[in-house]
Amino acid sequence: MPAIEVENLTVRYPTRRKPALRGVSFSVEQGESLMLLGPSGGGKSTLALCLNGLIPHSINAEVEGVVRVGGHDTRQAKPGQLSQDVGIVFQDPESQFSTLTVADEVAFGLENLAVLRGLMDPRIDEALGKVGLLDERSRRLDRLSGGQKQRLMLACALAMDTPVLILDEPTSNLDPEATNRFFRTLGGLRDERTLILIEHKLDACIHLVDRVLLLDGEGELVADGPPREVFSRYRRQIEQWGIWLPQVTELVLRLNPASDAMLPLRLDEAVEHFKKRLPYEAASPEEPPGTGPLIAPGARAFVLDKLSHTYPNGVKALDEVSLSVPVGDFLALVGPNGSGKTTLAAHLSGILQPEPGRVKLFGFEVTDLSVAELTERVGYVFQNPEHQFVTDRVADELAYSLRARLGRAGLASVEVSQRVDELLTLLGLEDLGPANPFTLSQGQKRRLSVGTMLAVGQRLLVLDEPTFGQDRRSSLKLMRTLQDLNRRGVTIVMITHDMRLAADYTRNAALLLDGRLVYHGPTRALFRQDMLLIRAGLWPPELFDLSLELQRWQADFPDLMTVNDFIAAFEGQGA
Amino acid sequence: MTVGLFEYYEASSPLHRRNPFIKLMALGIIMLVVTLDLKPSTPWFDPGVPLVFLVLVVACLTIFGRVPLLFIVRRLALLAFLTLPFLLFNAIYFDATQVASPTLLFSFGPWTAYREGLIGGLALALRILTFLSCSMVFVMTTDPSDFAISLIRQARVPYRFGYAILVSYRFLPIMRTEFDTIRAAHRIRGVGERTGLRGRLQQLRRYAVPLLAAAIRKSERTATAMDSRGFGGGPDRTYYRQVRVTAFDWSFLMAVVGLTMVLIEVLVFVGVVDGVALVPPA
Repeated sequence: MPAIEVENLTVRYPTRRKPALRGVSFSVEQGESLMLLGPSGGGKSTLALCLNGLIPHSINAEVEGVVRVGGHDTRQAKPGQLSQDVGIVFQDPESQFSTLTVADEVAFGLENLAVLRGLMDPRIDEALGKVGLLDERSRRLDRLSGGQKQRLMLACALAMDTPVLILDEPTSNLDPEATNRFFRTLGGLRDERTLILIEHKLDACIHLVDRVLLLDGEGELVADGPPREVFSRYRRQIEQWGIWLPQVTELVLRLNPASDAMLPLRLDEAVEHFKKRLPYEAASPEEPPGTGPLIAPGARAFVLDKLSHTYPNGVKALDEVSLSVPVGDFLALVGPNGSGKTTLAAHLSGILQPEPGRVKLFGFEVTDLSVAELTERVGYVFQNPEHQFVTDRVADELAYSLRARLGRAGLASVEVSQRVDELLTLLGLEDLGPANPFTLSQGQKRRLSVGTMLAVGQRLLVLDEPTFGQDRRSSLKLMRTLQDLNRRGVTIVMITHDMRLAADYTRNAALLLDGRLVYHGPTRALFRQDMLLIRAGLWPPELFDLSLELQRWQADFPDLMTVNDFIAAFEGQGA
Repeated sequence: MTVGLFEYYEASSPLHRRNPFIKLMALGIIMLVVTLDLKPSTPWFDPGVPLVFLVLVVACLTIFGRVPLLFIVRRLALLAFLTLPFLLFNAIYFDATQVASPTLLFSFGPWTAYREGLIGGLALALRILTFLSCSMVFVMTTDPSDFAISLIRQARVPYRFGYAILVSYRFLPIMRTEFDTIRAAHRIRGVGERTGLRGRLQQLRRYAVPLLAAAIRKSERTATAMDSRGFGGGPDRTYYRQVRVTAFDWSFLMAVVGLTMVLIEVLVFVGVVDGVALVPPA
């Protein structure tokens, strides 16, 4: 008997015209491990909710077709029954908790199944042991790190001992180290359990996947097969729908778009693939890519002088950080969660007040600037774009700060609407002027929030994880907008965990560790600092690891970090 | 200051170990007694009686609850400040015709303050403060998880409500952080903090939309996650956390009732009060 059978499943939400899923059919054997891929809003989460019966039992939706899990038809199953068949871990650990302490949280599911109290402790201990949280057993949940919280949710699902485990973007709130640890933990658990994974970070988890289901934007299942086969055959759709691929896979597809050779999915496979093409001969003895000017001379966008900050609860977030960033720089601000990145950014934007003499913005003492003067110079894009919306229309959002300055700068309202139109075009939101900001897609909201920060011509833009939770297409679109702005002279500081983006787009990087600045220099040179990276739990882009591996076979193989580096390097070398 | 006025103080103490529901009843009794009119033999004993209770409650909290005295007093001082208006209004707006010979303290413009009014205000303020200190005893010495389970098991509150309380307890600090972020985000937009009633109302609306959007989204997610873990599935549910009523809990309740009665008797005996009246004199 298959673990899961889905026949002709169509799901419609009452408030939407188009169905979220259309005629989806597949079946999964016990012990298989599946990945659901598709553009955002393509029905992946809807499918997951159908499998554990939340649709239609808890979430109102019109369902046609049949879903059988462990032989039970989910529509006829009694409530509670399905939680014994399917365990699920969602995106945001914070909103999955039902209790206040670690052991209580694991027990919660067991209590719901009416497991006898005497039998709970061994199951709780076993589950916590598997995810490495046994020592935290009696801790309060609010004292756990993000990575621990998500591993706790995994333990909760494991304790229920369900044959099927679904993970719906379990690592989207985690930093790279915690993400890798999560998937290492999960990898160590591979057993007879059926695994269904929805995830953007394929580099970290592709080794766990036997099979890929590819959904299109209309909720139809277009492909079902081994990852290599699906990635190779549907490369065009995958690119078009903005789905992330493992970096090495993307690289090989970009290098030989026509090739039908075996696609590498993992680093070791990519090494094998490229080994055949060695020895690599540099086309000309020009300097290797990515060794641009260290820190340009000239005017400074901001200068920090021994900036320290201690929060009222005694946490020292910044410890004598000195940092000088030139006008026109594109800086990646990196470091593990809790290392002080956001605190530093908050000092640039006036959210936190530094002591006098610590922060200079474009040559001005920041404490001497009024709120208005500060916001004219610095834009700050928060992690959640909704936080920044203050009006009911997209166009008004963009016009808001302009109108506030109407009197002072003498901007006529014709100019305001001109500027708004310009921004709408720049952001790719042309037709959405009258829409309510809250009704936009995640990617559109993000771009709008960037736009609101540019309206009065801010020269420094600070972004807190701007690509957080975005699919590939909207991430790239946003990054191109930022690159474009940077070329026009806007200095950009971007907090990010995504080393791939940092390598692709930023010029310099600043690494914070426990509130101290431990590295400031070219982004590419950062990935050479092995000890720092290990201490910070940062993982260089997979492609850099690939060039390091290749250097073992050819000592003078250059440091290549991005797809474009490789393309430039291998161009004219033949396939 | 980021520390809340009412916050669980993690410790191991006789008060911490009491069953939350029993503790709630015991404190309820004290609160009831404080509201009674004990017919003070002289006007000054009117505020005197709640003061005695206030001192006793705080003493119990620090002795049997192992909460540092300074930790309590700091919070009480802040609360005392909040009760000041009661004291002032009573002193100033005292109906002097009620008393045969009111003692004038001072008069300033249209305001006149009488000693009797001041005493009445003081009594009211101290009663409120005693109430608050009772709540403090409960909150500081009761593990919120135990309280929720105790509500379900001892007070027979439906378990869905019990868990709703627990989840909302967890949501409070999260929403607080969310609110602070929204405020900062709006300031960055160049939206100044408004003054005046109209401005404040507009501001509230601006904050409310993103805050509500976040709250609704978070609570939907929580509900989905709880459902997916079988919450509300069956009629039967077991409990991992054992929150029992022990014989000692009952003795504790009896002791509180007994000691309160003894205390009143003592007050009557030494002539501070004349007795207990359920209804305040007209």
